[in-house]
Amino acid sequence: MTTESVPADDPRRLLADVRALAHRVRVDQRMTWAALLVLGAMTLLAIPFDWFGMQVDCNPDGSCTFARRGMLYFWPPAMVLAYATIAFCYLRAARTRGLGARVLPYAITGAVTTVVFPAAWLAVHLYFQSHPYPDGPLPYWFFVLDRLVMPWGMIGVALLVLAWLERNVGLLLFTAGYLALVLLVLPMNDGFGAPHFGIRAGMAVPQLIAGLVLLLGAFVFARRRRRSL
Amino acid sequence: MTDPTHPVLGLDDVVHQRVRLGILTIAHEARRVEFGYLRTHLDLTAGNLSKHLSVLETAGLIEVEKGYEGRRGRTWITLTAAGTAALAEEIARLKLLIARVETTTPEDR
Repeated sequence: MTTESVPADDPRRLLADVRALAHRVRVDQRMTWAALLVLGAMTLLAIPFDWFGMQVDCNPDGSCTFARRGMLYFWPPAMVLAYATIAFCYLRAARTRGLGARVLPYAITGAVTTVVFPAAWLAVHLYFQSHPYPDGPLPYWFFVLDRLVMPWGMIGVALLVLAWLERNVGLLLFTAGYLALVLLVLPMNDGFGAPHFGIRAGMAVPQLIAGLVLLLGAFVFARRRRRSL
Repeated sequence: MTDPTHPVLGLDDVVHQRVRLGILTIAHEARRVEFGYLRTHLDLTAGNLSKHLSVLETAGLIEVEKGYEGRRGRTWITLTAAGTAALAEEIARLKLLIARVETTTPEDR
């Protein structure tokens, strides 16, 4: 950049400079790998809570019912802790680089997504206290919606907000793939079934896959960041 | 004769200068920016950058805050509300100017 005034008939170059500088700042503010690392670690940490906190009641005919109490107690405080850690990492890294950071929209999203899961659980719980459980199979959209309001779906929503904040196309694509995985592919809400898995293992495996995908994303984004420096 | 509505007439000389426009852009995007970051990314000497910051501060477009982190002095620059508005107006005028140039036929010139 030079210090002389640019002729007024060169607005394209000025605008291009403005866009390039804004992009440079956004790239320097990014800590995508840290966000994915924290969320991946939380996802893996949740597995033993789900495993040991799950209440399973089996009938003599072999049918079982289960309640995932451990998740309900683990995730709300874990999400608050995760998002606070991520915000702290962003602020600290940006400050070290000589920049401020925009974490408020992300913090708000974190707070909202933290509330959605227990609120949805409570709403469903209250609904089925006064309504009969449907006999036939539930529609597919119900399963997708159920998976969306679960912690792993909410992690995807928070990552979408982060991708928007960072104007990060790479993260957007990663998040789209992650959301497709946890909403459409992995049985996050009802687990892999018999005969290959018991109830607890059937629930743990999708969480393990989701956690590993997040950690893999963290690794890839960390490598990309190191290369760009 | 000059067109009185031409967007070039509305350009603010304080903002319409590449370095100062760069400072405002970075400060807007970053919320707050340290002197060293600006110096590195705008490729300026400390004296030159200080002069531009002084112009912007006098115009009320930025706030300069000096402090220490450990023993190291740090200077942070924050955009004021007037600075945010001035930057938005400058960018809007630049876009208008581009649109104007693109829609002007050779006969109009």
